[in-house]
Amino acid sequence: MNEALQMQISAFVDGELPENESELLLRRLSQDAVLRQQVARYLEIGRLMRHDREVRGMNQLRGRIAVALGDERELPDEEQPAVGSALMTPTTGVAVAATVAAIALLGLSQLQGPVDPLLQRAVAIDDGPAAYTEPAVEQVLADQPNEMLMQYYLSHSGSTSGLGANGIFTQVVTLELREGELVEIEPDPHLVPTETAESNEEESAIDPL
Amino acid sequence: MIRTIRSFRHLVALMAAVVLAAGSATAWAQPSPDELLDRMNHVVTTIDYEGTVIRWENGKSEVLKIVHKIIDGVINEKLITQEGNGLEIIRIGNDVHCILPDKQTVLIEEFHNQSTLFSALPSSEIRYGAEYDVSIVRGDRVAGRAAFMLAVRPHDEFRYGHRIWLDEETSFPLKTEIIGIDGELIEQIKFADIRIGSNISKAALAPSMSLDNYSWYTAPARFAAVEVDTDWECIDLPSGFRATSTRTEQLPGADAPVTHIVYSDGMATVSVFIAEKNETQFVEKSNLGASNTYSLQRGDVQITVVGEVPAVTVRQIAISMQQN
Repeated sequence: MNEALQMQISAFVDGELPENESELLLRRLSQDAVLRQQVARYLEIGRLMRHDREVRGMNQLRGRIAVALGDERELPDEEQPAVGSALMTPTTGVAVAATVAAIALLGLSQLQGPVDPLLQRAVAIDDGPAAYTEPAVEQVLADQPNEMLMQYYLSHSGSTSGLGANGIFTQVVTLELREGELVEIEPDPHLVPTETAESNEEESAIDPL
Repeated sequence: MIRTIRSFRHLVALMAAVVLAAGSATAWAQPSPDELLDRMNHVVTTIDYEGTVIRWENGKSEVLKIVHKIIDGVINEKLITQEGNGLEIIRIGNDVHCILPDKQTVLIEEFHNQSTLFSALPSSEIRYGAEYDVSIVRGDRVAGRAAFMLAVRPHDEFRYGHRIWLDEETSFPLKTEIIGIDGELIEQIKFADIRIGSNISKAALAPSMSLDNYSWYTAPARFAAVEVDTDWECIDLPSGFRATSTRTEQLPGADAPVTHIVYSDGMATVSVFIAEKNETQFVEKSNLGASNTYSLQRGDVQITVVGEVPAVTVRQIAISMQQN
C-alpha cells in the first residue's frame, strides 16, 4: 500500500475524505481482496493504538464496503456478538481433578481467540457483511471456555462423528463434574489391573472349559 | 490453503495419475480413492489394533497409548496418556471409565455412540458431492508401514482440507491431518508404532494399576434430546451443507431447552444452538483445534455455532440464522 493510499484511507476513516474520492476508494476496495485485508489490518492497528473499541468511521466503512459488495445485510445493534465472561469453576476435589485431567487431555486450555488476532480479525472484517462491532482483542484473549460453551462443545461432539480422535477424548468431559451430580457407586468387578487380567487369561487358556 | 490447493490441484492430480499409470502392480496403485475410503470405513470398525499415537494441535503434542479390540461384537478401547497424571480411559461397549490415578478415582459414563477412535473420517457422501475432491497423492511410510496418502481438497474456504495416510495392506488410517484455509496444519494424529489385526490380548485392555481403594463415581445422563421441527433456518448456508437433524436438548446449566440444528456437508459438521438469552454469556468466537465457535445475540435468543470448519464458516452461519 503506497503512502498516498494510506493517507486516503486515513482520511476516510476520519470522515475527511471527499465524497467522490470515497466512492473511488470503496470501489477499489470492493474489487481488491488483498487491499481490503491490508485496510482492515491498518484500521485494526489504529484502533489498538487508540485503545478504542471502535475506530471513528469504521462502521461506515464496513457498511459501505458491504453495500459495495452487493450484500446489504446488516445486523442491528441488538444483534451484536455476546460478551464473554465466566470461567468454568468446578468446586469439588474430584471435579477439579477430572476437569484438569480432561482439559489436559483435550487441550481445552487452548480454547482461546485466534493465534494472530489482528490477522484473524482483519479477515473477519474483510470477508463479509461485517457491519457490526467486532469484539475487542483483549476480550477475546481474556475469555476462557465457560460452562455453557463447554456443554455446546460436548453436545456437538456427541451428535456428530466429525471429531476424529476428539470423539473419545471429548467423552471424558461429558462426565458431570459439578458438585452434587456425581453419584458414588460400587466398583466394577470386571475392571481388574493388567497383571490380574493376564493371570485370569492364562488360567482361562488352561481351563478347557 | 485453498489457494495452494487450487494452484496445485491439477499438478497433483497429474502427478497422481502419472504415478498410478506408471506404477507397477503395487497394492496402492490399484484401488481408487472411493475403494480405499470404503475399505477404511470398514476396517476402522472391525479390526483390532494397538499402538502409540501422537496427537498434535496448536503447536502442542501429546502421546497416547491406544488399544482397540472387538470382543464378541463389542468395542473395547483403552487410551493412556503418557504424560502428566497418567489418565487412563477404558471403554467397554457403552461404558467409558475415566481413571484418575492421582486422585484414586474412577468416573464412569455411558457413551451412546458407536463411533471409534478413527470413525470420524470422510463419509462416502463426500464422494458424491461437489464440495471436495478426493485423490491419491503419493506413497509414503508411517509407523514403519507402507502407506499411501489421500488428499481431500475442499473447493472453497468454508471447510478444511484433509490428508489421510492409509495402510497399504489394510487401508487402516495411520495418520490424519486437518489443513486450514491458509495451508496451515491444524491438527495431526498419527501412529508412531502400531500393531494391526494381530492377536491383542484382552489383558491389554485392563487398567495398568490396581484400583483397590479407588472411589467410583458415575453421573446422571447428560441431557434428553427430542427431535423437533424448527422455524429457524440459515438463509446463507455455505454450499453443500444441509440440515441433518434438528432437536431440542435440555443441557446442564441451561434454564430452558436449547434448539440444536446440525448441518453437514458429508464431512464437516456444524452445530447451531439457539438458546434463551440470559446473563450467562461467553466468548463470541473461539477455537479448539479444528473447532471454531461464533456466538451472537439476536432479540431474545443467543445463537452459538460450533463446528470443525474455519472461523469464517461458523460466523457466516451464525449471522445468517433467521426465524421464519
